[in-house]
Amino acid sequence: MRVILKTRPREKPRIPIEAEEIIPQNFLRKNEITVFHGNKEKSLDDLFFVTIEGPAVSPDQVEVILTGDTGVIKRVGEYMNAGRIIIEGDIGMHCGNFMSAGEIIIQGNADAWLGREMRGGHILCEGNTGHYCAAGYRGEKRGMRGGMVEVKGNAGDFAAEYLSGGEVIIHGNCGDLPGVEMRGGTLVIGGDCARPCGNMTGGTCMVFGKASQFLPTFRANGSQEVEYAGKRYRMNLFRGDVANRGKGTLMVRA
Amino acid sequence: MKIEDVVCPFCGCLCDDLVVEVEGTRVVNVENGCTLANEKFMGDHRLKAPIRRAGNGWEAVSYDEAIEETAAILLDADRPLLYGWSGTYGEAQSVGVHLAELLGAVIDNTSTVCHGPSIMAIQEVGHPGCTLGQVKNRADVVVYWAANPIEAHPRHMSRYTTFCDGFFVKSAFRERKVVVVDVRETDSSQVADEFVKVNPGGDYAVLSALRAIVRGKRDLIPPSVEGVSREQLFRVADLCMSAKFGAIFFGVGLTMAQGKNKNIRNAIELTEELNRHTKFTISPMRGHWNVYGSNEVFTWITGYPYAVDFARGIAFYNPGETTSVDILRRGECDACLVVASDPGAHFPRACAEHLARIPTVQIDPHVNATTHLSRIQIPVAVTGIDAEGTAYRMDGVPIRTRRLFYGNYPDDLEVLEKIYRIVREARG
Ligand code: SF4
Repeated sequence: MRVILKTRPREKPRIPIEAEEIIPQNFLRKNEITVFHGNKEKSLDDLFFVTIEGPAVSPDQVEVILTGDTGVIKRVGEYMNAGRIIIEGDIGMHCGNFMSAGEIIIQGNADAWLGREMRGGHILCEGNTGHYCAAGYRGEKRGMRGGMVEVKGNAGDFAAEYLSGGEVIIHGNCGDLPGVEMRGGTLVIGGDCARPCGNMTGGTCMVFGKASQFLPTFRANGSQEVEYAGKRYRMNLFRGDVANRGKGTLMVRA
Repeated sequence: MKIEDVVCPFCGCLCDDLVVEVEGTRVVNVENGCTLANEKFMGDHRLKAPIRRAGNGWEAVSYDEAIEETAAILLDADRPLLYGWSGTYGEAQSVGVHLAELLGAVIDNTSTVCHGPSIMAIQEVGHPGCTLGQVKNRADVVVYWAANPIEAHPRHMSRYTTFCDGFFVKSAFRERKVVVVDVRETDSSQVADEFVKVNPGGDYAVLSALRAIVRGKRDLIPPSVEGVSREQLFRVADLCMSAKFGAIFFGVGLTMAQGKNKNIRNAIELTEELNRHTKFTISPMRGHWNVYGSNEVFTWITGYPYAVDFARGIAFYNPGETTSVDILRRGECDACLVVASDPGAHFPRACAEHLARIPTVQIDPHVNATTHLSRIQIPVAVTGIDAEGTAYRMDGVPIRTRRLFYGNYPDDLEVLEKIYRIVREARG
């Protein structure tokens, strides 16, 4: 089944739409899907032109395509557990929150909290992403726990905060403090970043660009070769964050 | 008439020992207050009556008309924002939260531009804090980190730390050691026993280094960390570890610098580490008068201290998403009610521009920068001068403010209750 959702023109286009009900399984089972436009609950038809093509017997046969002015739509794919969502432009905050399986492809940029606390599945963002990519919610002690987030462009600050499992790959640059409070999983940064892995206690972070403002509380621990994007690089190894009795591994290109 | 034990309505110290002389509906003299307090009590920029924008100018309107129009604007909005609250008292703040819930609005206070990151850090790792009385009577080491009390909280040092003797600190000036950490020299750094000059944005690394030193990992520390020499870091760590009772106070220089809430978290974790050696506490230098009270009131009612979004009927909180600066910068809200604060003076330009584009109503006694962005302004009594109510000091101690005289203005509570009643009737 293919579900095409094209945004309708809106009088107030900057008002965010909260659309956690846009997940493949709902198009198979749910009669009425609602979304919030600011503080008003609306039916899907009020805000989108909806086209449904072909049948499906299980959620993994459902593909949802979002198109139009999608940059302010939040929570698409929240708690998704099967199927595929393709966003043909930008997407708003919290895309793929808590998702456990399935695939989300964002052809534009993603706003903050992409893949927040996700447990499984795959997110590919072809553009840039905002702050707190693959991180945790406020006060939460564990961020992303499983699955994979891949960003072809840059990420904002605090990427993979509290990362506890799974893999986060940012091919471009990261902002400040990527991998802060990290406790497990793998974070790969293809470009530059500042102050990686402050307060980390576990997991592995690899920086293939330049790590500026390197924190003084990481202990040098030799070097090793690692492969990234088809090439082999010699990496300096560090253990830390010692300020936090951390046992994480930070590798920075030599 | 002279009135004693008056509470100052300006900064988070809430000094409660002022003596104020009043003639009719005017304050003519203030004793014990600092310059900021004198200006607050004796300043005279109050708006006389409600005003509404008419063409390129303003027209006077009645209170009832202004209140009805405000309620209509809020009822019509799909994403209203209610911002401010730190210059008013708890009872009025409480009505504000109920109004936000009824409207499905976002309600936020000035923490969003001051100590919001401190609260986020406290939510992550807790708060080893204490009252200012404890500091006054016990602390023999005081650290001001990215705070300049002599200018921002002028009586903090004389009432609680450097120049104030305490029960266990008989001669404060000699017995208390004061450390100031900042990116530049300030008036406060000049009275410090030790001034630590950090590179801008370097606080996080310095805090991490101090944590490692306190943990006994001195060998790891490079010769210089963000402009601070290893020897000075060792000296400060030793001073803190040998204190009988230490207190760290931090300001917006730490909360709003690179790293934001992570700086505060690191400072709290340093405090926890120091508690393995001695007794140490940490407290934010809250600036806006009753901003701590707004956090308290919001939390009692909603569970969250600021940036509370009721759009879905339940409270949701996510600084960076539901904070007013972010909402305004993204141009999300379509109406705004500003109460007891001045975002026009403090917010980034893009936010001020959006406030000017949408219907903005201000409830405030004074003509200020936000007046120029507003459609309507409703003047009210000044809490602590011609209105009374409960406010919270920066250390979380509630203090009842006094009304010095009965003036001609309604207070915040009265105006907000009227708006609330109209909205409730409309919403059934
Ligand atoms: S220090 Fe603050 S509370 Fe005390 S008198 Fe000055 S402005 Fe008022």
